[in-house]
Amino acid sequence: MIEIRFHGRGGQGAVTASRLIAEAVAKEGKYAQAIPMYGTERRGAPVTAYVRIDDRPVRRRDLVHEPDIVIVIDPILSKKPSVAAGIKSGGLLLLNYPKPPEEVEIGGDFMVSTVDATTIALETLGRPITNTAVLGAFSRVTGIAKLESLEEAILKRFPGEIGKRNVEALRRAYEEVHPPKPAKGPLRPGEEEPPHVTGYGVLKSVADWRVFRPVVDLEKCVSCRLCWIYCPETAISLVDEKPVIDYDKCKGCGICVHECPVKAIEFVREAV
Amino acid sequence: MTIEVMVGNKAAATAAKLSRVQVAVAFPVTPQTTIVEYLNEFITKGEMDCEFINVEGELSAQVVVQAASRVGARTFCCTSGPGCLYMHHPMHDTSSLRLPVVMAVVHRGNKGMQPDHTDLMSHIMTGWIQWYVENNQEVLDSIIMAYRVAEDMRVRIPIAVGYDGYILSYTAEPVDVPEQEEVDDFLPPYKPMPSLMPEDFDPKSPMWWRVPWEEHHKIIVNAKEVIKEVNEEFGKRFGRSYGNGLVEEYRCEDAEAVIVAMGTIASTARDAIDNLRAEGKPVGLVKLKCLVPFPYEDFQRIGSEVRAIGMIDRNVCLGVGGVGHTFIRNAIYDLEERPKVLGFHAGLAGKEVKVSDIERMAEKVLKAARGESVSPLVEWV
Repeated sequence: MIEIRFHGRGGQGAVTASRLIAEAVAKEGKYAQAIPMYGTERRGAPVTAYVRIDDRPVRRRDLVHEPDIVIVIDPILSKKPSVAAGIKSGGLLLLNYPKPPEEVEIGGDFMVSTVDATTIALETLGRPITNTAVLGAFSRVTGIAKLESLEEAILKRFPGEIGKRNVEALRRAYEEVHPPKPAKGPLRPGEEEPPHVTGYGVLKSVADWRVFRPVVDLEKCVSCRLCWIYCPETAISLVDEKPVIDYDKCKGCGICVHECPVKAIEFVREAV
Repeated sequence: MTIEVMVGNKAAATAAKLSRVQVAVAFPVTPQTTIVEYLNEFITKGEMDCEFINVEGELSAQVVVQAASRVGARTFCCTSGPGCLYMHHPMHDTSSLRLPVVMAVVHRGNKGMQPDHTDLMSHIMTGWIQWYVENNQEVLDSIIMAYRVAEDMRVRIPIAVGYDGYILSYTAEPVDVPEQEEVDDFLPPYKPMPSLMPEDFDPKSPMWWRVPWEEHHKIIVNAKEVIKEVNEEFGKRFGRSYGNGLVEEYRCEDAEAVIVAMGTIASTARDAIDNLRAEGKPVGLVKLKCLVPFPYEDFQRIGSEVRAIGMIDRNVCLGVGGVGHTFIRNAIYDLEERPKVLGFHAGLAGKEVKVSDIERMAEKVLKAARGESVSPLVEWV
């Protein structure tokens, strides 16, 4: 059995990529299981998906803790050593990363391969949806799913122009991927959890989902409680009738900013 | 035969389509929602000749399928967790009226979004037949079989087919989709009862249209034989069957101990049992598919063949214990030589159940079978 873990951000297509692999290998007569991890994700939040591939029906229903292959389709997550947590000895770390494997900072007892999927996606699709490009690299480096099977799966799912462009991304990445090299970087995965929303909907901190942060001007606030009522994550509590935001719970959705009738909440760009 | 990689919810919707459901009623609720989406996609594309009725909540959903079933339509309903609980009251009536409604229950526990079996198990006393299935293929096959069983004139009892939310509802895997003609041959068109009014109809009695308790109970108990028949016939036609339709024994030959599991835990347990058997440990798995009517006879036979049984319950009847554990102990009580019955509460509120967890549980049950003292007899994993 081959076990794969995907890391990405909501909107890049990690879940779709996991299904496309399952559909492609099924065409080749293998059995597969594609498991998405659903919580209260939204566009931009780190997400995880898993794939198991075997010659017989896959029966186990737990999550993948010791993957043979880890695929990271987001370039920023590709810099976090925790994505390699649990990877099997001799396994493969396939990153969407603009530099060759020798310049990857993550190290350990596994191989590392890279592809600049963001650039390929921008040039073929016009937007940074990197999943199909990374699949082209996956096919070339692992040989687990044939390029033609993946093409067929993509065209079935995305008919017309979108499918054609995704196939173009797939083929370009197939050609441009850097072959695997031993992972020699200084940063080790360590014991920390891989970056995903843990459990089924059980959240830790969602602070790094934010692009913008709501900031309350208490002078302008009229204590109408609308922000407190509308916050979908109950991140706002009231202290002396004024809103206090728990920034670990705040995803940066901006609903409070929109609802405030006196414009007392400002949406400030997070420093990166 | 077509192999299609699909999620559990698509398997459920596809089964409804293949069963030529005429009226589908549901209120969308996570993690069942995409069944509603798939059904509407099939209907919009003209692949399914079915009336989908939008309702404002599950209470109405159940009442509307009742009405449709009474006037002669094959009906499908689907729900999850809180929605399932909201339709409790009309579910009693669907069963009392002997309407062969089939409903997919995508398990979502009663404490949050995560899956466990507490939603459907809260309905044990509603008089519905309850099945718990382990993979997407079984979701599809069981819904088709459910119509055959429910519409059999000896049964005429609604059936709930439960499968674990998230773990199956959104997981994609290959499913062998039968041809429409094969399903048509297996499942004849639905014929409603000739009359809903009994011979001794007494309009002064407020209970005239409800089956009396004793008769109702016996009908459900007797449904076991029909379930076995239908499961066997399905196996002959489609090449797949699920144990005897009530329970399935996996590697139980010469077993000193067995674990019993339901839903996806039974699927994971197969790998655990294979691992233990490879180490020469004589343990087997009994998959409990049909909780209502409860297969007492099967557990009496299994109980007389092994020295210990370990029930893995993805549920708790608060203040009482595991539902499966309680029922199995009840089943084996009259045996001359009773096996030990251990209990495990596992996977509640979506807690992950790993292969290694099941191996440990099975080894504990084997120890008990060999006369070693184990403690506690019921544990929370």
